[in-house]
Amino acid sequence: MVDPMTTAVLLQIVFIPALTSLFLFLFRHALGKKAGWIATLSLIYTTLLLTLTGFRIYQGSHRIYEEYLLISPNITLGLMADGLSISVALISNILCLALSLFSIKYIDYRIGSIYQNVEAKREISYYSRFYYLFLYFPMGFMGVSFSTNLIGMYFFLEVLTITLFFLMAYFGYIERVKIAMMCLLWGIFSASFFLAGSLMVYSRVGSFEIARISTLAGDPLTFWIITVFLLGLFVKMAVFPFHVWMPWVHSTTPTCIAGLLAVYANIAVYIIVRVLILPLYDDFQIFGPMIMVMALITMIYGSLLTMAQTDIKRVAACSTISQIAYSMLGVGALTAVSLEGGMFFFLSHIMGKTVFFSTAGIVVYTTHIRDINSLGGLAAKMPITALLFISGAMMLSGFPPFSSFPAEWILFTGIFERGATDQLTLVVGLTGVMAILLTVGYTFMAVRKVFFGPLAADFDNEHIKDPPLSMSIPIIFLVVLSVAIGMYPKILMDLLQPVISGAIAF
Amino acid sequence: MDTLFAWLCLIFPLTGVLSTPFLARIGPALRDYGSVFFSFLTAASAGMLLPLLFTPEMLPLETSYIWLDTPIRVNFGVLIDPLSIVLANVVAVISFFIMVYCLGYMRGNPSILRFWMLMNGFIGSMLLLVLADNLLLIFVGWKLVGVCSYGLIGFYYRDEKKYWIGGPAPFKFDPPSACGLKALLVTGVGDMFMLAGILIMYYYSGTLDVMGLYRTAPEWVPQMAAAPGMMILVSVLLIAGPVGKSAQFPLIEWLPEAMAGPGPVSALIHAATMVKSGVFLVARLVPIFYYGYWVAGSPEAMHFFVIVAWIGAVTAFIAASKGLVALELKKILAYSTVSQIGYMMLAMGLSGFRQDLLVNGYTAGVFHLMSHAMFKACLFLCAGTVIHSAHSIYIHQMGALRHYLPFTWVFMTLAALSLMGVPPLPGFWSKDAVLLVCLESRHYMLFAVAVAAVICTSFYTVRLIGMVFYGRPSDHFRALEEKYKTLEEKRAHLGEGYLSQTFACAALTMGIVVFSIYGLRVEHMLHDLFADNLAHGLSLPTVGHTAAFPHLLVPVLSVVCVAAGAVPAFLFYFTGTWSVQAVFRRSNLLKLIHIFLWERWFIDRFYSWFIVGGIRRLSVFVARICEAFLDTVIHSKMPRVVTHGGKALLDSLHADARDLSNNIAYVLATAIFFIVGTVWWIR
Repeated sequence: MVDPMTTAVLLQIVFIPALTSLFLFLFRHALGKKAGWIATLSLIYTTLLLTLTGFRIYQGSHRIYEEYLLISPNITLGLMADGLSISVALISNILCLALSLFSIKYIDYRIGSIYQNVEAKREISYYSRFYYLFLYFPMGFMGVSFSTNLIGMYFFLEVLTITLFFLMAYFGYIERVKIAMMCLLWGIFSASFFLAGSLMVYSRVGSFEIARISTLAGDPLTFWIITVFLLGLFVKMAVFPFHVWMPWVHSTTPTCIAGLLAVYANIAVYIIVRVLILPLYDDFQIFGPMIMVMALITMIYGSLLTMAQTDIKRVAACSTISQIAYSMLGVGALTAVSLEGGMFFFLSHIMGKTVFFSTAGIVVYTTHIRDINSLGGLAAKMPITALLFISGAMMLSGFPPFSSFPAEWILFTGIFERGATDQLTLVVGLTGVMAILLTVGYTFMAVRKVFFGPLAADFDNEHIKDPPLSMSIPIIFLVVLSVAIGMYPKILMDLLQPVISGAIAF
Repeated sequence: MDTLFAWLCLIFPLTGVLSTPFLARIGPALRDYGSVFFSFLTAASAGMLLPLLFTPEMLPLETSYIWLDTPIRVNFGVLIDPLSIVLANVVAVISFFIMVYCLGYMRGNPSILRFWMLMNGFIGSMLLLVLADNLLLIFVGWKLVGVCSYGLIGFYYRDEKKYWIGGPAPFKFDPPSACGLKALLVTGVGDMFMLAGILIMYYYSGTLDVMGLYRTAPEWVPQMAAAPGMMILVSVLLIAGPVGKSAQFPLIEWLPEAMAGPGPVSALIHAATMVKSGVFLVARLVPIFYYGYWVAGSPEAMHFFVIVAWIGAVTAFIAASKGLVALELKKILAYSTVSQIGYMMLAMGLSGFRQDLLVNGYTAGVFHLMSHAMFKACLFLCAGTVIHSAHSIYIHQMGALRHYLPFTWVFMTLAALSLMGVPPLPGFWSKDAVLLVCLESRHYMLFAVAVAAVICTSFYTVRLIGMVFYGRPSDHFRALEEKYKTLEEKRAHLGEGYLSQTFACAALTMGIVVFSIYGLRVEHMLHDLFADNLAHGLSLPTVGHTAAFPHLLVPVLSVVCVAAGAVPAFLFYFTGTWSVQAVFRRSNLLKLIHIFLWERWFIDRFYSWFIVGGIRRLSVFVARICEAFLDTVIHSKMPRVVTHGGKALLDSLHADARDLSNNIAYVLATAIFFIVGTVWWIR
């Protein structure tokens, strides 16, 4: 008998959201607002599959590989899960799941405020539209994580870009269509470089398989290939000066998917590690110092930019710029420890950002105000939200017991490992460590302005209260997950270590 | 088995944190007494470690479990050695009495659940810090302590005016939530540097275990010393952490504002425990740098001791001088805390100056830490009662309170005398030990600074007691007396606090009395313990100490200095023989000095202007100028150039921009030319 839990798991993980999306589309009127719950259920199923797969890999299977023939003779879809990709996929999928649940109420409110006075049928149509579009996010993330070839990866990256375009255009904030267009153009710009890089790889190797990229090592064109890839990915990661799209896009997206936007940007770090560093470790060395310096500039610039924001959504948006730079710093230091730390930081950051952003969303949902200076004293009326927001601030600033603490620790261990023998890295590392303080500054300043101080008279009514459980439970779950990983990071490091240290330890 | 109690020291407070919300559901009494009970269990567990001090040959004890093995190896474990036993007891026992005090002080507070959780969380984190067997775990405790103190300082997060500190008008006030943030950020500066220091050290040592670092010092310390400047860099980075947490110069400025929390919080965090963690960490690091200088022969390692000693001495003086003019009761005590920790740092720094000072310096530092924890906790708790009774945070709005607070008057006066260093109170013994080491080191500049701080300490302490308990009642207090007419009302509003408050203060005062009797004996015991631990256990080279100065020189000098500060203060504030106003009016120099000290040497102002203001200005510049420029260029100028430029190009080629189809061949030809050119060039 076929066991659905072990047969074609990766294919299921990638495409079940897409199938669910189709189902939601076809039966949108019959399903009504149950669409949200069905999407959530499908994500619970894929999360379960991912957890089981992760467990199998943790137990020693090391890698799971699936290949499907698309067009005879040799156009195939390859999916591969190892410790690195399963960690990225699992955490991203959990975030999708949490935000899917979070959106059930949130998107209802959002539709109510954008499309006022529409008839019920049309409202339902918007509601299900959100969910059948939303489900392409998990599909894209899973696809990028598991793809074994560059074209597959390119395809899934484009899926993400296009999904983001539609979601933003339909459900975003002011000027949403214009910003969605801007985001699409940046996405395509970035993806074009990725495609160009892929074609350059093909021209030398004769294959798009990531596993074959290592044969490029030492090739004179490798430098240019890496440059082209990096240019594209820098745009995606919002590295200074390619970051200009991020504050606009991040603050315009509906809050319920803003956490996923952080994944969308940050997953580029995974791509750099998977496509460039692991196969071409030696050729990549020359880029290390430049990446570190760019990361440092980005993290400080991003933090300063964040500090000047007064829009609560823009605070979270700008902070993404500086947070991604930490993972990038780890990538730039190019030691096994710093790479693992960088990946760990990436996963911690996306959890933290989702918590921070979604809680900001709860504040906007409850008060309908985005300007930090007009808020204040909300902790008295919304204690759970306040606690979650503080947790988000702590997760971003790397406080124990959250996972970002060991992540930061491991990341900087790797950086100083290189820094002990390299002056530039030492200076970058020291400045980077100090820049964390800016994060503490802007996150906790936001905490103070929004939640502490006297309660504004406008808020002293019964409408200002903690959100419904369907909004707070997913966020609480993420906080607990982050604490669990923070208390026992071994489980994640055991998954990452064989892939990263194993590949570059020769 | 023996480490069981150390584990319990961590488990009980954590259980306290987790169970309080459930206990609160059952009833308020269970919630309050339950929380205190957990801190009692913690104190009892810590107490069970004390017998180990009598069998030093069994120490150190260590139990650890692997927490992470890739990519760095970190254990989760406890280390029991003389230092951690002493510190754990100081923390746990004093915390327990403070918790008892809170039963009365916090009664009826609507947010008491949060308070109990944070307090137990704080105690647990602090014990994790002192009992941890490796630097990562110490750092975890370190950060958690910071987070809990952030929550406790900003406990009155609604920033009601009555909880503001600073002032009095027209001077600036600080709301509690801002004070919490300030503490978090300023200590954070030190934390981050320290993190860097630990990680660089890890690169060389390959271990984070405290005992492992000591044991493998012969392998890694010479390696680190071989890299020029590395020893100094690591010293500075590592010292920054303790400097931040213990509010030493230059990160001195957060502690006075940390007084925004409830009274017992000030006692717990800013007197007895958290601020001591810096001294503890320096004590943990002393053997490493001592080895570096005296065994591995790295001259750079001496910088560690020199920096620590000078920071300690300078801080002791700066803070004490600020205390001379301050008007807020708790702020004076805060300055005094900073100043006293300066003495501990000084002693720790001196321990590396000479081989015969290692044990003496180390002992003096830890001994002063113990005695200070006790009398300062007592002072702060009494201050809580005093402030409650006087309905004011300023000492000039008090006066003659001894009539209303007879018990507090006795307790506070005894503790204050100990702070001044009046024999035979514990403060005398411990300060004497520090001064002795300082003199023996023959660094007379350091000694002079330390002695000057003694004079200031005794002046501001007498001033404080005089203005609070003696003299005539202030106008403010007289108004209160008139407001509450009957004796019952007066007793309820102006009198002693709840029984639990008086009990806690009494217990600490008893501790001071007992410590006065056994002080010298305790000092000798500590000396033997540390001699055994450092010289034999860690095999650090030491030589026997021979006194170079007459035995009675330092005690006599110390008493003279105390008198030098106390007598004028007595004449000013007790008897009123000398008039403060008259002296002040006469001397312009005094006025200038007063402004300088009142403005806290302008350090805080400078930081606010340069660092806080600087970052703010920079962030506005980045957002308004840089980002706006980039955004305009990339999102509107460049597309416009492309559109307009493209049109201009086509125009100049005599092509029709409106109908590209006519000229498509032309455009294609150009594109092909470029592509072919590029491909040819790459090949």
